[in-house]
Amino acid sequence: MRFLGTAALALNRIWATKVRSMLTMLGVVIGVAAIVALTSIVDGASQGINKSLATLGTNQLNITAMDPDALTELDANALAELENVSVMFVQSQNEGTIATGDTRVNARLVGVSSKYFQAVKPEIALGSYLSSSSFAQTAKDVVFGADAANDVGLTADMLGETVKLNGQDFRLVGVLDDQAGFGTSGRVYVTLDSARKLFSQYPYVSSIVIQANTPEQVDALQLTADSLLRERYGLGADTDARYTITNQASLIAAVSSITDTLGLLLTGIAAISLIVGGIGIMNIMLVSVRERTREIGVRRAIGAKQSNILTQFLIEAIVLSLAGGVIGLILGEIAAFFLAILGDWVFAIKLDTVVLALGFSLLVGVVFGVWPARTAAKLEPIDALRFE
Amino acid sequence: MANEVVRLDKVRRDYLVGDQVTTALDGVDLVIERGEFVAIVGPSGSGKSTMMNLIGCLDRPSAGTVLISGDPTNELSDNELTSLRSKAIGFVFQQFQLLPNTTAIENVMAPLLYQGISSKQAKKSASQMLTKLGLGDRLNFDRNRLSGGQQQRVAIARALVTSPDIVLADEPTGALDSKTGAAVIDLLKDLHREGRTIVLITHDLEIAASAPRRVFLRDGQIERDERGIR
Repeated sequence: MRFLGTAALALNRIWATKVRSMLTMLGVVIGVAAIVALTSIVDGASQGINKSLATLGTNQLNITAMDPDALTELDANALAELENVSVMFVQSQNEGTIATGDTRVNARLVGVSSKYFQAVKPEIALGSYLSSSSFAQTAKDVVFGADAANDVGLTADMLGETVKLNGQDFRLVGVLDDQAGFGTSGRVYVTLDSARKLFSQYPYVSSIVIQANTPEQVDALQLTADSLLRERYGLGADTDARYTITNQASLIAAVSSITDTLGLLLTGIAAISLIVGGIGIMNIMLVSVRERTREIGVRRAIGAKQSNILTQFLIEAIVLSLAGGVIGLILGEIAAFFLAILGDWVFAIKLDTVVLALGFSLLVGVVFGVWPARTAAKLEPIDALRFE
Repeated sequence: MANEVVRLDKVRRDYLVGDQVTTALDGVDLVIERGEFVAIVGPSGSGKSTMMNLIGCLDRPSAGTVLISGDPTNELSDNELTSLRSKAIGFVFQQFQLLPNTTAIENVMAPLLYQGISSKQAKKSASQMLTKLGLGDRLNFDRNRLSGGQQQRVAIARALVTSPDIVLADEPTGALDSKTGAAVIDLLKDLHREGRTIVLITHDLEIAASAPRRVFLRDGQIERDERGIR
């Protein structure tokens, strides 16, 4: 019998036992849908994290103080003297309170140097960033992060009004839309000068962000910056410094290695359900071989070769598994689409996901279909015909 | 020699049941010529099913030689035995044994498709055979919509469609009422008159009497080989 004829027999049988076939497929459907949806969650999460990291640029170095008095503005000035470098911005932060009317909540008060907003480019929801006039000595302007704005119940009509930071009057000029961002929530932003008046930390700063002229110079700059700071504080090469220097590129690499591992873990768990689905198919196929022993005997008697029987049952298993894979893929992509809307990331049907899902379900069909199919093919015609 | 379609020479068939050897056929010699209508008769346990399996190329002898259409079956591989069976034998079973979830014409097409004949050609031959057996208006009926007699005629069409050397009918009337059973026997007689070789396996002496030659089996041996209409 030609291959197409055998395939038609297998499809005919699957159609004749629709309900059972659907239930048999279910394991593979769930397994594949889980793989597709989980992969999309991991992709979406790493997309989001990378996006917020990438806004800072891959040629940047973050120098962060581990103690309140570990870094100063003078260090920033010294770093600016190095070759191939520009100082992006300096931050100084401390816990404090914010209040509007009767509402008073805790928040992180962040003093930033003038280039901060151009460098980080956070999304703005209302008003504007701190402008150059805000950075004039006398002005006391504040920009709220989204969470801080929610905490005190800010509304659009309060732009330009007075809010109190640590009891001092500030003028609200803007609110950021940084909900999807990374690490900027629950904060309010003022100028470095204002920060000094809020918490008398001069000349200490909490972090300095510097930028190499090209991404290739970043690693070298990290070493130069480190040795400069060690020299300034009289630290030997082996002494622990009270600051850390983080390289954006290595941070991105670290994050993507974490999300890759997470992805593998989740896919592994989903793959287990796919294997369970495969065992379900094998189980039903074995039952089916037993139920159809007489039919197999008759087919052998009227001229079917072992290979015809093998092919018929194997195709049945593969069709069940592959159909389960296709349904699972569709359901998984639908789930991924809605997850993307919820998580605010970009939905895309990726070719490798499709190939992976269909490839795996094909593999499951072959692996778990071979044994039942061989069992069927190896039946002796006389035993099969006599089977009650 | 050329006219012999079945030759059994000192055929013995042993089965292992548990650790006991049972001899189902014990030194049987039998020749069936082309165009004969032979009934193999005997009570259950006489060895007639074993003989059907050997003639039907479903089984091989433990000792002795079985020649089907001149080919010895002893040394054939499973594939070669299947090919010989497909070419030489047409089976008619007691319980009709139509394939599940298939129509009358699909049943009759199946042996042709297993021979590698194209679907179009198989459909044409199957339709002609069913029409000849009076089922031209039932081609696309599945088995639930066919009476017992009609089902057995589909099974006979399936046995005949490959033009086999031997039509091997195993208790073909066993599942039918006596009137329908008689019609099936008449059909076999007609086929015999057309020149077909018919081997009828039965325990029923009355049915056996419709065959011009009757081979009686008892305890794995041929007890009697009668010829002539009684």
